Amino acid sequence: MTARTKAATVPGFLVAHYRDFLLYGLFLGAVAWFIASGEQGMGYHWKWYRMPRYLVQITEDGWVLGPLLQGLLVTFKISGLSLILAMIFGLTAAIFRLSDSFTARLVAKGYIEFIRNTPLLTQIFFIYYVIGPIFGLGAFGSAVLALSLFEGAYASEIFRAGIVSIHKGQWEAAHSLGLSRLDTYRKVIVPQAVRRILPPLTGVGVTLIKDSSLASTIAIYELTQQGNIVSSDTFMVFEVWFTVAAIYLAVTFPLSMFVTELGKRMRTAE
Amino acid sequence: MTAITAINENRQEPIRENVRLGPEIISVRDIVKTYPGGLRALDHISLSVRQREVVVVIGPSGSGKSTLLRCLNGLEEIDSGEIVIDGVPLDEDPGHRLTIRTEVGMVFQSFNLFPHMTALQNINLAQEQVRRKSRKEAEETTMALLARVGLTDKAQAYPAQLSGGQQQRVAIARALAMHPKVMLFDEATSALDPETIGEVLEVMKGLARDGMTMVVVTHEMGFAREAGDRVIFMENGRILEQASSDDFFSNPRQERTRDFLGQILCGPVPGPAESTPNAKEQL
Ligand SMILES: Nc1ncnc2c1ncn2[C@@H]1O[C@H](COP(=O)(O)OP(=O)(O)O)[C@@H](O)[C@H]1O
Ligand SMILES: [Mg+2]
Repeated sequence: MTARTKAATVPGFLVAHYRDFLLYGLFLGAVAWFIASGEQGMGYHWKWYRMPRYLVQITEDGWVLGPLLQGLLVTFKISGLSLILAMIFGLTAAIFRLSDSFTARLVAKGYIEFIRNTPLLTQIFFIYYVIGPIFGLGAFGSAVLALSLFEGAYASEIFRAGIVSIHKGQWEAAHSLGLSRLDTYRKVIVPQAVRRILPPLTGVGVTLIKDSSLASTIAIYELTQQGNIVSSDTFMVFEVWFTVAAIYLAVTFPLSMFVTELGKRMRTAE
Repeated sequence: MTAITAINENRQEPIRENVRLGPEIISVRDIVKTYPGGLRALDHISLSVRQREVVVVIGPSGSGKSTLLRCLNGLEEIDSGEIVIDGVPLDEDPGHRLTIRTEVGMVFQSFNLFPHMTALQNINLAQEQVRRKSRKEAEETTMALLARVGLTDKAQAYPAQLSGGQQQRVAIARALAMHPKVMLFDEATSALDPETIGEVLEVMKGLARDGMTMVVVTHEMGFAREAGDRVIFMENGRILEQASSDDFFSNPRQERTRDFLGQILCGPVPGPAESTPNAKEQL
């Protein structure tokens, strides 16, 4: 049932779903009661009026980003860099897995299985404390490397699915023209595959933004870590974490909607 | 038989009049090809094609025609036997393999154009990537080829914007851009609407007239009669009969060949129990 048909039959819809509406109302009431009782029970006083300064501050130089939005910028920076690297790792691993070479397949398979069967937090610590010092990689570099290796393993599955979905006639045409395997990937297969897998690939971006919060554990001042600092400085635990969650949501929700919409369009286009 | 006579009487001006055959360019000796399932698609095939010769391969579906063509440019590996094209053996040597797949052009039933590229880009691609031509050089060749297949105005069109016949003509131009020594056609007109078959056949006849060496799998007996030097009839992975195209149609020796020709030219004939339902699908 689409949004449009719902709107066209509002009264009928209300009648048919009155129970859902009732439950929804009850649920909202319960949440409000829970928060309110928390406030009274713990003697908590909402200080929302103090929150804006942690988002933006006005100084004599004009507008300056507060710590939370500065954290968001760092989150963007980590996620963006990791996304680029994750695409490179993912595509390479996918091509290795589809290669004729046994060694290449083994390397890719080992990478993917290792990443998928160990916790991301462990990987971050491993890279920060073990690999990082060896290669002179700081906290930021470690976080980017860990996140991109992690998301790259998942992206490789997406790339692989996209690549094998390309009709084998495309390979055969390229073969009969004398194109090398690399050129066939570069010019023929990947450009077509990417169009098909754009929705799940954007999904990797959403996951990356969320997972980048784990970088807070190795002293990166991204959004979650800034939330940590502000909340322990001010004791405005509720306000800060509501705000932080809202900021994540404001970034990822539109992206997710975009992914869903893109997926629908692609399906109808084919 | 009446239909065969009809084709004989329907002869147009001879396409092959001015073409002189050269020395052997394709040599296939005793090749066997078994697919992973255990199916023997080619069962000791030997074949020799001369420079500028047009060889037409016919036979019921599943007889191994496509497999034969695919082996000729290295798309399929053979189990045993020997393929030599213009003096280059199709063996383990990657250099030999590259030479052969570059110099043997192939046109597929399903066109296989690259859908994300315009006609121009489709034809440019291998010239730039494989022949290392500059964009400008490649484009000159491409435009000349598009003119040759009658599609100058479609240079900027994407495959989805072209009719089947137009797509196939672009695919032919794309293969020609590599200046192939041999062109293979695998049922190039079988996927086309009847009204666009003619334009593709015209292009193929043009190539035959210009002396291109061609191996053509087709059900278009008119083409075989008019443009073919020699016809090969395949069944069950074997060559059952081969003869010059004149002899083949006027005097097919094998009973199976006669049946097949009868079916393909008149539609399925009721009668002999062995007439396969497959023959209907090929039309
Ligand atoms: N990739 C494949 N794997 C297994 N069997 C195949 C494959 N391709 C073709 N065959 C089989 O090999 C036989 C010959 O096929 P093909 O060369 O396509 O015949 P034709 O082109 O004459 O119709 C058929 O029985 C077909 O089913
Ligand atoms: Mg076939």
